[in-house]
Amino acid sequence: MTAIENRSVPQRLRAENLRLSFGAVQVLKDVSVDLEPGRITGLIGPNGAGKTSLFNCLTGLYRAQLGRIAFGGVPLETLPPHRRAALGISRSFQHMALCPDLTVLENVMVGLTLERRSGWANAFLPLPSGTREDAMARRKALAALESLGITAVAEILPAELPPGTLRLVEIARAMAGNPKALLLDEPAAGLNAVETRDLMRALQRLIRPDLVVVVVEHDMDLIMQLCDRIYVLSFGQIIAHGTPAEVRADPEVVRIYLGGDDD
Amino acid sequence: MSDLTQTETPPQPFANRALDPKTLATVALVGLLLVLPFGAGGYLIYSLSLCFANAIGVLSVSVLVRYGGEVSIGHSFFVALGAYAVAILEKQAGVGFFVGLPVAALAGLVGGLVFAYPSRRLSGIYLAVSTMALALALPEILVHSERFTGGFEGLYVALDPLAGLPKAPQRYYLALALLVLVCLALARLRKSPQGLALLMARAHPRAAEAFGITRGWARISVFALSATLASMSGAMVAVASSAVSPNSFTLWSAIFLLVGSVVSLNGLTLVPALVGGAFLTLVPNYLAGAGDWVPVLYGAVLLGVTLAVNSASDLRRILTRGGRP
Ligand SMILES: Nc1ncnc2c1ncn2[C@@H]1O[C@H](COP(=O)(O)OP(=O)(O)OP(=O)(O)O)[C@@H](O)[C@H]1O
Ligand SMILES: [Mg+2]
Repeated sequence: MTAIENRSVPQRLRAENLRLSFGAVQVLKDVSVDLEPGRITGLIGPNGAGKTSLFNCLTGLYRAQLGRIAFGGVPLETLPPHRRAALGISRSFQHMALCPDLTVLENVMVGLTLERRSGWANAFLPLPSGTREDAMARRKALAALESLGITAVAEILPAELPPGTLRLVEIARAMAGNPKALLLDEPAAGLNAVETRDLMRALQRLIRPDLVVVVVEHDMDLIMQLCDRIYVLSFGQIIAHGTPAEVRADPEVVRIYLGGDDD
Repeated sequence: MSDLTQTETPPQPFANRALDPKTLATVALVGLLLVLPFGAGGYLIYSLSLCFANAIGVLSVSVLVRYGGEVSIGHSFFVALGAYAVAILEKQAGVGFFVGLPVAALAGLVGGLVFAYPSRRLSGIYLAVSTMALALALPEILVHSERFTGGFEGLYVALDPLAGLPKAPQRYYLALALLVLVCLALARLRKSPQGLALLMARAHPRAAEAFGITRGWARISVFALSATLASMSGAMVAVASSAVSPNSFTLWSAIFLLVGSVVSLNGLTLVPALVGGAFLTLVPNYLAGAGDWVPVLYGAVLLGVTLAVNSASDLRRILTRGGRP
């Protein structure tokens, strides 16, 4: 990897030559991506291309057989998911992973787990330090809901809400802990036009010089408007990357997307 | 599960809690239980003391089910740990309940950790069977370490926690107070970061890891917490029944704890706990009076539990699948 980067320098998330297979199925073949802070990177590709698998490799849910991953110069390959989370890598799940027993607000507060300092004594006794921290976490979680325009559902259980709203909750949870890298897996799936527009605005507001944002999406309009840079994954290989205009003009990409796959 | 039922006005988290009808009903019930000894007979007071103590044991199993998604058929082991801690401390050191209870809780915590660490990768039927081994081994251990445990006969617990006050009422009020405190602590746990993390880990263990919640931490924490509660229940049972002996802590006691939890719908609040505790206190008495019918009744109870546990997990699966594509 590159020379050790200074702490104050914004951190980029890089993967080099990732190879992942399940038995005989090669899911990622030599995938390299360089995800820069301060902009939104899109990751597109047909169904089964390996987009979610790449996210899983970056966050530690899958272990690539070969290749290197580093965040701001820190090698990640051997770190388990919770250690990567502690470095500021956060994600949302394509197949939403909300806890049915927790309210929306509490689900978002789960995204703040790594910030919580209060110990077990606070879990059982109403000690002032724990109460203060709880209030702080609620405020942060509410702020995340607010940024996506869904504070009204804060105290509701997931089972009572439509999929579009749940999708936003999933994203709010990923954003809540002020991550340094935010990986969103199909954040607009199931959203209506209004919700999609709100989501796009929220993501644009999120851009900070030190934040890596990666969005996997099938909604081409959204990707083209939102992203500064796009990677195209097909059958486990990066077949194109560049600005939206460059990617749109790429003959290989055109072939894939006119070849019948555009949901 | 949640005792916060207000849904309309999100920003004021605790504003309406005091007016919640469920909370009011619970407070009224506690009030009733507080004045009950003034008008009730000795046997009822004795049975209720035992019921409160058992209710804590039922809660310990329900915590494991609710926060860990696991079933134990060996919690009599941890109940016995607490009960014997109190009895042995009284016999060997002459100290009473107020020293015995914290020691019992600590014994349960350590016992829970010692059991949970090596079995942290076990779940479902495998964990249940390994807890069953604990329950099966327990009477043998108790009988063989006769020097401390009093063997078959067991030990008496005679010291009054509050010297000088009448025996029956002080046991009653202590057991009630402990039960109410445990319920309050569990209500707080539900809102705490640890509580949220445990529920998340139970629902989606792999996703939870991405938020810093490791599966090992979750499993060990839940089990240790549950075992601690079980031992506290045991300490109270010892005092409420004035004696401990191996035949109060058999595999059947463990199964009844689980049945009590199922009967209470794994509730973690006062009313379900009392229902489970009453079940645990009354049913063995009725069964004991049934003579030749005992094996049949035991069999029927076991069948009932198996069916109930199975349908409960089916129901849960259907409910949790509902929200996802
Ligand atoms: N745990 C796994 N075991 C076996 N095969 C897997 C596993 N995870 C992913 N795959 C396979 O890897 C391939 C890529 O899957 P992945 O979910 O990464 O695709 P994707 O690009 O996210 O697709 P979609 O757009 O449908 O979400 C698929 O063929 C899938 O079957
Ligand atoms: Mg996918």
